[in-house]
Amino acid sequence: MEISRLPISASQRGKLISGGYTSLSSLSSVSSFALASDLKISESEAVEILKVASRGSRLGWSDGTNSVISGAQNAWDMLHEEESLTRITTSCADLDNILGGGINCKEVTEIGGVPGIGKTQLGIQLAVNVQIPREFGGLGGKAIYIDTEGSFMVERALQIAEACVEDMSEYSRFLRNDVQACQVKIQPKDILENIFYFRICSYTEQIALINYLEKFISEHKDVKLVMVDSITFHFRQDFDDMALRTRVLGGISLKLMKLAKEFSLAVVLLNQVTTKYTEGSFQLTLALGDSWSHSCTNRVILYWNGDERYAYIDKSPSLRSASAPYSVTNRGIRNSDPSYKRIKMM
Amino acid sequence: MRPQNLLHQPLTTQKCTLGCPILDRCLGGAIPCNSITELVAESGSGKTQLCLQLSLSAQLPASHGGLSASSLYLHTEFPFPFRRLHQLSTNFRSSYPCYDHDPCDNILIQGVHTVDHLLDIMPRIESFIKNSKSRLPIRLIVIDSVAALFRSDFENTPGDLKKRSSLFFKISGKLKAMAMSFGLAVVVTNQVVDLVAPDEGINGLRVGNLGCLYSSGRRVCPALGLAWANCVNSRLFLAKDDEYVHQNNQLVNGDDGDFVSRRTRRWIHVVFAPHLPNLSCEFEITSKGIFGVER
Repeated sequence: MEISRLPISASQRGKLISGGYTSLSSLSSVSSFALASDLKISESEAVEILKVASRGSRLGWSDGTNSVISGAQNAWDMLHEEESLTRITTSCADLDNILGGGINCKEVTEIGGVPGIGKTQLGIQLAVNVQIPREFGGLGGKAIYIDTEGSFMVERALQIAEACVEDMSEYSRFLRNDVQACQVKIQPKDILENIFYFRICSYTEQIALINYLEKFISEHKDVKLVMVDSITFHFRQDFDDMALRTRVLGGISLKLMKLAKEFSLAVVLLNQVTTKYTEGSFQLTLALGDSWSHSCTNRVILYWNGDERYAYIDKSPSLRSASAPYSVTNRGIRNSDPSYKRIKMM
Repeated sequence: MRPQNLLHQPLTTQKCTLGCPILDRCLGGAIPCNSITELVAESGSGKTQLCLQLSLSAQLPASHGGLSASSLYLHTEFPFPFRRLHQLSTNFRSSYPCYDHDPCDNILIQGVHTVDHLLDIMPRIESFIKNSKSRLPIRLIVIDSVAALFRSDFENTPGDLKKRSSLFFKISGKLKAMAMSFGLAVVVTNQVVDLVAPDEGINGLRVGNLGCLYSSGRRVCPALGLAWANCVNSRLFLAKDDEYVHQNNQLVNGDDGDFVSRRTRRWIHVVFAPHLPNLSCEFEITSKGIFGVER
């Protein structure tokens, strides 16, 4: 109760509670004379209590919705907030569909798959798509790309950026041909400039960078995506103490979740796969172990089905399990060929 | 810590030519710097040939697609093919007569026996690259082959396999760090093993653009497993296949009793690469080297 946070003596507190004054708002409308007669205390004491209470409410201890703990929201407000957040599109309609519109901000999404399935491609596509201006339905934000493996090729990012700008001009020409066409102001080179690229070469550098990100993002408030490609590479070398690795990874995931919530951005982690021996057979599973699997809000697994690439929602609090095909083209991630197209709901 | 500005670097990664314009065009410029490229093939497919040819063409200046660099060749299979290197370098000299020095002077060779040996010499390699006093700086490292280092020392038990895979990441981490600090191109070669497993669905072991890798009519997969596949940036598969050709150049099946000849055809496929689509190119090996073929 908020009364318990007021710096008043325990006997005064007890009297307030037994008198029925349990929240700061109930104190805001009572006069000192009424309070004194209610609690059977002197008027000067009542004035003092009211002064402390008003100071407390000015400091923001109580907000208009009568919440008990500061910073709490009720679910209705949260729903409104979530609906108003734009998602980052992946440029593949099927994939966007199963993701509920795209990659969500304020959440940590983990994407894993075998080598060559397109994780880095998806990463670069998201780093470009987060920059789509608001007039075209995007977030108009910048991206941080943390590269641990050296798979990021500038020419590929430029190719994807050029295709994105072409698609935007095509869209504006198609939809707004009667009104003055909304000129696509952003150019491929601007897109590249808005990707903050970090290349790290050891796990200590990785930990240091993630610790530094909070400061960096508070200086660059328009960053809306943090992409780590991949989170696992430096952690699969021999750690003499596996418990240390779990603790370090736990710390990293907490920091990333905090970043996502505090700055309202999307964190996407790319992961590798490894085989796990369960129930008598080897199964593919994402690397870094079972304890890491709890660290992310959403989990997407990319896999091959015949000659097609598929994405599968493995874990999500709000999305249903489904898989969708996608393809990697020279323009980036796109829908797969219609002759193969199927979305499977599980 | 400051982020790199992507526009301050050249907008295409520097690449080292393979010495043949057809192959270069097929592979999007050939071998990129700052990353590890893996050549996977069964024995006798041309991996070593390609590596030797690459070590020579790395010495070309950037106008010819090279790196103006010497190369460091770490070989794990003995003996080193000196004679073939000499043959290729003679051809190199005759194709590029303006270079008066012996190209073999710029190829540094080191034999590596075990994984521990490789890890031991890494710091020495790093200081050697930093303080290189040879005519050209080292910008290409070839490890031929990485599979030979691992195939005898480790048992097939989970403990050994775990140790082995953490060594993969250690080696790959060090190579990538060196590649980034010095702008090196790293090429490693790998062997193949036969594959008898299905690879469909979410538990499949299919890696890359090709559903099945075939060489010499057998279904194969690269050695060292899934863990090593996560350590390299690009993988190229060299396949070969024997064809029996009738004397009028038609393909033959069954025995006709006529005169037939056997022809070996070779292809290079891109299994996965961050900057390349699913490409293939046919090539042939002659006394002058490896050259792409356009049919």
